[in-house]
Amino acid sequence: MSIRSTHIKLGLVAQPTHTHLSDTDLALALIDGAPWAYEETWKRFVPLVFNMAVSTLGSASEAEDIVQEVFCRLARKAKSLRKPESFRSFIVSIAIRVLQWELRRKRAQNWLSFQPSEMLTDLVGVSLDVEARDMLRRFYAHMARLGSRERIAYSLRHIESMTIEETAEAMDLSVSTVKRLQERATKQLSDWLNTDFDLKSLVLKRGGCHEG
Amino acid sequence: MRDRVESVSDSASLAILTALAREAREQVSPPPPAALDAQWSEVTTRITRQRFRRGLFFRFSLMGIAASAAGAVWMLLGLSRPSDPAAETAALSYHVEGGTVVEGGYLRESGPEEIKLRFMEGTEVVLTPGTRARLRTVDGSGARIAIENGTTFFNVTHRPAAKWQVDVGPFLVTVKGTIFTVSWDAVSEHFDLKLDRGEVSVAGPISTGEIAVKAGQRLVVDLPKKETVITEEDDGGGLGAGGVPSAGSLGPSEAPAVERPESSTSRPPGRAASLGRPRRAGDGQALSAQGWAEAVAAGQWDRILTEADRAGLRHTLAHASSDDLLALADAARYRRRTGLARSALLAERHRFPGSPSARDAAFLLGRLAESRQGEIGEAVKWYDAYLAGAPAGTYASEALGRKMMATKQLHGSSAANSLARDYLRRFPAGPYAGAAHALLTHP
Repeated sequence: MSIRSTHIKLGLVAQPTHTHLSDTDLALALIDGAPWAYEETWKRFVPLVFNMAVSTLGSASEAEDIVQEVFCRLARKAKSLRKPESFRSFIVSIAIRVLQWELRRKRAQNWLSFQPSEMLTDLVGVSLDVEARDMLRRFYAHMARLGSRERIAYSLRHIESMTIEETAEAMDLSVSTVKRLQERATKQLSDWLNTDFDLKSLVLKRGGCHEG
Repeated sequence: MRDRVESVSDSASLAILTALAREAREQVSPPPPAALDAQWSEVTTRITRQRFRRGLFFRFSLMGIAASAAGAVWMLLGLSRPSDPAAETAALSYHVEGGTVVEGGYLRESGPEEIKLRFMEGTEVVLTPGTRARLRTVDGSGARIAIENGTTFFNVTHRPAAKWQVDVGPFLVTVKGTIFTVSWDAVSEHFDLKLDRGEVSVAGPISTGEIAVKAGQRLVVDLPKKETVITEEDDGGGLGAGGVPSAGSLGPSEAPAVERPESSTSRPPGRAASLGRPRRAGDGQALSAQGWAEAVAAGQWDRILTEADRAGLRHTLAHASSDDLLALADAARYRRRTGLARSALLAERHRFPGSPSARDAAFLLGRLAESRQGEIGEAVKWYDAYLAGAPAGTYASEALGRKMMATKQLHGSSAANSLARDYLRRFPAGPYAGAAHALLTHP
């Protein structure tokens, strides 16, 4: 066929790199309003926020929405950052607040709709078999029954593999409070699993597979 | 079994599930750079909007209070008049066929069939099987739909205040009233938009900013190769219109059928001039006053049809060059003269057998046949003809995909299974890969 096409030159916009800067210097630049600082912050901290959101929500797509919301809030609050050396913690704390807000919104939405919402575990690109996906879906359905603080504490500690101290710092809580939240979350999840025989049979099957 | 199940301690179950969640999380990687760029642009837009709103708030707060008070008095007095109806319209109602909307707005298939979203003002959205998409928002002016992977057809009803947005991977397609099909392959980062009617703008990680796509055009973006191509090869423009010859006259080996000109004039060509493109040896006579291929690219379809009519269609089909025949076919399809388009494509195959253009004509003939009721079988023959002549040609992926869908429609899913397997083997990231997976998953 004859060529009747228009080729448009495409180039991803090349940005000057500021990757060598420390988090503290980046925070100072952001407070000073350097035009590049915000984008550099975005590039540097998106993976952190995204991973936290995926661990907590079990959904990559919802995690992307959370990431956007976190960085919109960061733009509003950047000037209020008092400790540039704690820039990472500052972003994590915003992410925690956004996640708490999202979890509360979901619970309220479920309550208002008078019927339990279907929990969709959306992990694009994950190579799990059908049974494992089913187990995850059911597991996150139980996670959705936890309070927002319990859920976040459990996710950060056990799925994100943070230490107790890191979790406490991220959530701006004392270590003892985080321990209490985790104990409560573990007990509630165990109780709910105890009555979910379908899920337990799937776990047994998978456990057997692992052993074999 | 129950005893055995109970024998697993709850803490052990929880540990296994937590480990599974951790394993899944570790497999999820943050969005690719292209998607991050698109999200970044969305975030900056939101921030700008927020700042603008805050600025407005402080600047006009007093004025707003005064206006609110005046409005309240106005309403109390019953003197208010309806303002912009679109602004006051409630969110569009819609219903879903072949699936349900679940948590997060995801559209989940209830079976192997495609999902159809029908909105009250007439807009229709069809997700091919295997497509992953979600309904982000619906309001009075339209909706915002995100396609994460797969192919979706849109027929958006034109309204003055309509606003429809489609997130396609890292791209944002903004439409008012139009018909188009768009697909996104998240693995190969391949974007493909074919516009049948209207006009859309596409924004995304492309340095030229927004791209306006017009009727009959196709926009393909290959992000890994950093390549953007707009072609005029869309086949939708000529679908389903008049001037259709009888079904029995179709066939891959058939000699060209000549559509009668709408006027009875059959004069010899007024002027023969050079074509805009270099002519190949063996090409026929150039009938166009200027290059018809250039005229097609410039959207001057009526000019081509007028010149062809003036020269006499029978004469044109018998003597035009290969390039002019293809240009004539394009112009005819865009102007819904399907019969003439088909005749031009048949002439191309008859007069220039074995040429690349003749092979492409077979694929286009297949699409034309598929668009007419009762001719899907003929379409399959044309696709076979194309695939036999150009197994690795430009349209090979589409020809095999269309053949698979047509076979499913004609003979059922089981008959199409082998084609689906063949498709996935040859084009694992092709535009019909989702449909092929769905076929094999739901036989």
